[in-house]
Amino acid sequence: MRDYVLLHINGEPHRITGAAAFQTLSRFLRYEQRATGTKIVCEEGDCGACTVLVGRVENGALRYRPINSCIHFLFQLDCASIVTVEGLSKHGLTPMQDAMVQCHGAQCGYCTPGFVMALAGMFETESRDAKQALTGNLCRCTGYESIIRAAACVEEQPKADDLYPPQPILEAIRDVQSEAVRIEHFYKPTSLDEATRFKAANPKTVIVQGATDFGVWRTKRGFAPEAILSLDGLDGLGELSLDGETLVVGGRVTLTQFEAAVRGLVPELARIMDRFGSPQIKNAGTLAGNIANASPIADTLPFLYVMNAHLELTGTMGARVVPIAGFYKGYKTLDLAADEIITRIFIPMPKDGETLRLYKISKRSHLDISSFTAAMLMTRTDGRIEAMRIAYGGVGPTVLRLTKTEEFLAGRAMALETFLEAGERARGEVAPITDVRGTKDYRLQLAENVMQKFYYDAIGGGA
Amino acid sequence: MTNYVGKDVPHDSARGHVTGESIYIDDIPPMHGELVVDFVWSPYAHARIRSVTLPERVEGVAGLYTHRDLVHNELGPILHDEPLLASDLATFRGQPIVVIAAESQEAVLAAKRAIRIEYEELKPILTIEEAIAARSFIGETRFIRRGDADAALATAEHVLEGTFENGGQDHFYLESQAALVVPGEHGALTVHSSTQHPTEVQEVIAHLLGLDMSQVVVNTKRMGGAFGGKEAQATHPAVMASLVALRHKRPARIVYDKDSDMHVTGKRHPFRNRYTVGFTSAGEIVALKVDLYSDGGAYADLSPAVMARAMTHAENAYFIANAEIRGTVCRTNMPPNTAFRGFGGPQGVATMENIIEEIAAVLKRDALEIRRVNCYGVDSRNTTPYLEPVENNTLPRLFTELEQRCDYRARMEAVRAFNDASRTHLKGLSLSAVKFGISFNTKFLNQANALVNIYLDGSVQVSTGATEMGQGVNTKIRQIVADELRVPLARVQVMQTSTEKNNNTSATAASSGADLNGFAARDACVKLRARLDDVATRYPDFDWPKLVKAAYMERVPLGERGFYATPRIDWDWTSGQGHPFLYFTMGTACSEVLIDRFTGELKVLRSDVLMDIGKPINPGVDRGQLVGGFIQGLGWVTTEDLRYTPGGELLSHSPTTYKIPNINDLPEIFNVDWIDVENPVNIKGSKAVGEPPLLMAISVWCAVKHALRFVSNGDIPKLRLPATNEEILMRLTEYTKRGAIHA
Repeated sequence: MRDYVLLHINGEPHRITGAAAFQTLSRFLRYEQRATGTKIVCEEGDCGACTVLVGRVENGALRYRPINSCIHFLFQLDCASIVTVEGLSKHGLTPMQDAMVQCHGAQCGYCTPGFVMALAGMFETESRDAKQALTGNLCRCTGYESIIRAAACVEEQPKADDLYPPQPILEAIRDVQSEAVRIEHFYKPTSLDEATRFKAANPKTVIVQGATDFGVWRTKRGFAPEAILSLDGLDGLGELSLDGETLVVGGRVTLTQFEAAVRGLVPELARIMDRFGSPQIKNAGTLAGNIANASPIADTLPFLYVMNAHLELTGTMGARVVPIAGFYKGYKTLDLAADEIITRIFIPMPKDGETLRLYKISKRSHLDISSFTAAMLMTRTDGRIEAMRIAYGGVGPTVLRLTKTEEFLAGRAMALETFLEAGERARGEVAPITDVRGTKDYRLQLAENVMQKFYYDAIGGGA
Repeated sequence: MTNYVGKDVPHDSARGHVTGESIYIDDIPPMHGELVVDFVWSPYAHARIRSVTLPERVEGVAGLYTHRDLVHNELGPILHDEPLLASDLATFRGQPIVVIAAESQEAVLAAKRAIRIEYEELKPILTIEEAIAARSFIGETRFIRRGDADAALATAEHVLEGTFENGGQDHFYLESQAALVVPGEHGALTVHSSTQHPTEVQEVIAHLLGLDMSQVVVNTKRMGGAFGGKEAQATHPAVMASLVALRHKRPARIVYDKDSDMHVTGKRHPFRNRYTVGFTSAGEIVALKVDLYSDGGAYADLSPAVMARAMTHAENAYFIANAEIRGTVCRTNMPPNTAFRGFGGPQGVATMENIIEEIAAVLKRDALEIRRVNCYGVDSRNTTPYLEPVENNTLPRLFTELEQRCDYRARMEAVRAFNDASRTHLKGLSLSAVKFGISFNTKFLNQANALVNIYLDGSVQVSTGATEMGQGVNTKIRQIVADELRVPLARVQVMQTSTEKNNNTSATAASSGADLNGFAARDACVKLRARLDDVATRYPDFDWPKLVKAAYMERVPLGERGFYATPRIDWDWTSGQGHPFLYFTMGTACSEVLIDRFTGELKVLRSDVLMDIGKPINPGVDRGQLVGGFIQGLGWVTTEDLRYTPGGELLSHSPTTYKIPNINDLPEIFNVDWIDVENPVNIKGSKAVGEPPLLMAISVWCAVKHALRFVSNGDIPKLRLPATNEEILMRLTEYTKRGAIHA
């Protein structure tokens, strides 16, 4: 058992012990390492000014991805290799940075290091879709156009491995990675058994995987759990496979990995995942985390509801499987025992002949928490609706299946009138509230209208 | 020899920005003994402060200060009516009450827990309507009048009345308010401030702490964005840190976190404007009465000047023979609203563009025809309601060129056809204009000074009152100086802005930074160059470094001050007349939007922007202003939605809940260009370009309004600004319920 986390910053090893492990990476970089290129603006993962690359060992190599360092904690970064804007610039400007200079990609400059690092993240992948790569970075000056132009004129860009030879880093990690880590109330075990026993012994444990929710509670509300558990040391929870018609997603599969898997399997979900969050958030956050956070506007939940996904919950006595809808007992209340961990998620895939539509209505199209979400799964025969599953989010304390509206629709003609009436029924089946993301009336109207929208989408009549 | 003006020179800080080396206030390494400064603010919009109990001793807390610790407590750029620290009455949520000096962030939190303040909540005024009902105003109602609007309305063919409402906008500069103060000898202070207005920071610190201005040096290297938000409101943090530095003789730093910044600072002014317009069947406006009301917040701040600009822009690009424009600033219990890029101009212009769309709806005509009929003329019909002639008017040309370039007619037909056919979506198209007056409305502010020093090796330092907030003013001044002195750009350094180098400067605001300071720098260079040219007659073969050395040996002074005062401008509030602007920056923009009929979701399909920005000193920098301004304006008119609780608590106080445009919000097709015209009255033929492009995004809002015409059953569609998805859906629903769609 180690009492420290080992992380590399711009190629240099750091051993972090004690209370220091509980600070955010951004604060550590700025105020302890005096590497002030990484900026702190929102401290909630919504502006990207704090973006750095985090490399993790995957298949024996370091795989670097951008994350928000303002809601990422040092204890999460055991066996990780970090590259900051200072580290990227160690030999002077890289071609991408030079393009940013030449194209006027920077004005006030405060967001710029974050943009540079998010673009560096893009160049670690095959994608050259700058808009997608920069979804998580806000700029208030440029209007983004110059940054897109800069990204487009880069032909070659060194990768993190080119700047920081991976071998010494990998060797240092190899020496320690099989050891569990215990620092104060943080525990990173190496087996599921140890994990569940720890959780049983510490009933108020919070599992912190990507920290995309936890980080915000901590920076904004000072949330300090009695015990923190990391699943990073566990083999097996990274499973992501298709078992017949069912996608099996391990408990620490990130949203980025999940999105890559569903891109071919469920394009409709991939469309929503595109807008769901930034690369930085999706690289850190997990599907299990999105489920466990139990937000009534969690963007994956309506989909999981209509697909009738099941969760495998593993505790000290073994595993059990529960349907997703049964997992939520009320607002942020889960059917999860103190010792249990979400180990796997089973998602039946849409079948031929089924029409799946997902809706995410938010104030801004990308990277915005939804005002209203909906998922609809329809089976149709000869112009009639055979069966329909409808799940709405943002209209009550949990995501809701609209069983009465579903019953109404079953067996009816596939016609606008049907869906007009279904809309009215749907409206009657929900009880939304007014909050910062929308008024009650707005949400009621969306609950009604989305039925018509689905009708036009399903008949292919949309513009 | 050199010719940098007009060239696409990279921003002079760009290298530092992309490597993270650029230094902002929070990046300055901590100094020995430095204290953390923060403050306790009123959680109520309106409350009597019954008592403030400060703890005797809190571990790590060096000092706690209230209004009693200030020599003077009133600040404000115009009226000096705002107490920095509330004493017995809190008049807005976020108003500072106790300043905390602590050894650490943890100690700040401990202090906040230990300070006891008893409040008695009072009924707040939170909206313009409530303020009008309570007759709660800041200053007097002001007027601009020409002709006889009442008489013309009485005989007009058509008369239309309405109300236009816009919401506020948070600046959302990425670098929040910040200052670091280092004490010196005998009460002297060196202040590093993220401010657009070092002189005001200097003046307010000196006044509130009982120092001479000469004892306070304010330095501004750069800001991580400002947009007007650091013109008047950078003073508050700077004074708080100065108070601590002075008391403890220790460096003191204050850096707001983003949520606090959004809670406590003022924003763009919400307006609620009533109007009556008379027009002919041909669409010609014969009379206009507009009653502008802004939400000034709890104190004056810059609100009267913002209102003045709203009033002088309420007719926008259109000649109105009979006009009566009234402006009243409402006093509410909101944080004092302040400067924000456009400074009242956007609210005035949006009001007028809204009126044009409504006239078009009444006459069932294309709004562009209405705009063309009323557009200021080149030789006639070219005097504003405040009697300033619109000189060098390129508006008619801009309308014509953009209409052709963006294929307006054909696209308007396509929009109609689309809306006839689609059951699921609606489109709208609008081509609007902007005429933006350049100069501070307040005459005396239109002055600047510069200091140019040439060193023995031929390198050059330039200092002006202009502050760099990303807009590229330093880069432009560098180009001007290099050209005027005829030296390579690399030899010219633009220094941090400092009240030690340039005294009594105006804010870098009103888009005027490069105009005023560019002229002042040029003035210094012209004098220096004349002396050097004289020396050169004796050394015809000398290159620049040798020439400089020779001048030094001949005891020719190699430093110079430059000065500029904008000519020809004047303004008189008693008559509401004058010549407040040196010239106008103009532009047209055409936007096409797509609306989802079921969800109200809005997408901007295409925007074309065509402006007259003179001959740009730096085309790359100016393009950045055009694009960046447009997108910032797009946020104001669409997604940036400030939501409050009924008690006046801001709910949208961070980027999770307050949505500025994201990279995916750019119009799918986005063409930005300018016409090639020299501006005869400004530095190097250029025009100011900071604010006007923001107003071009009003075309997007007008396009939404236009789209609603297709479903409103002949009614004038009403639309609040911002046109959020929710606002659009609720308007659509209103018409749907009356049976306009699903036909």
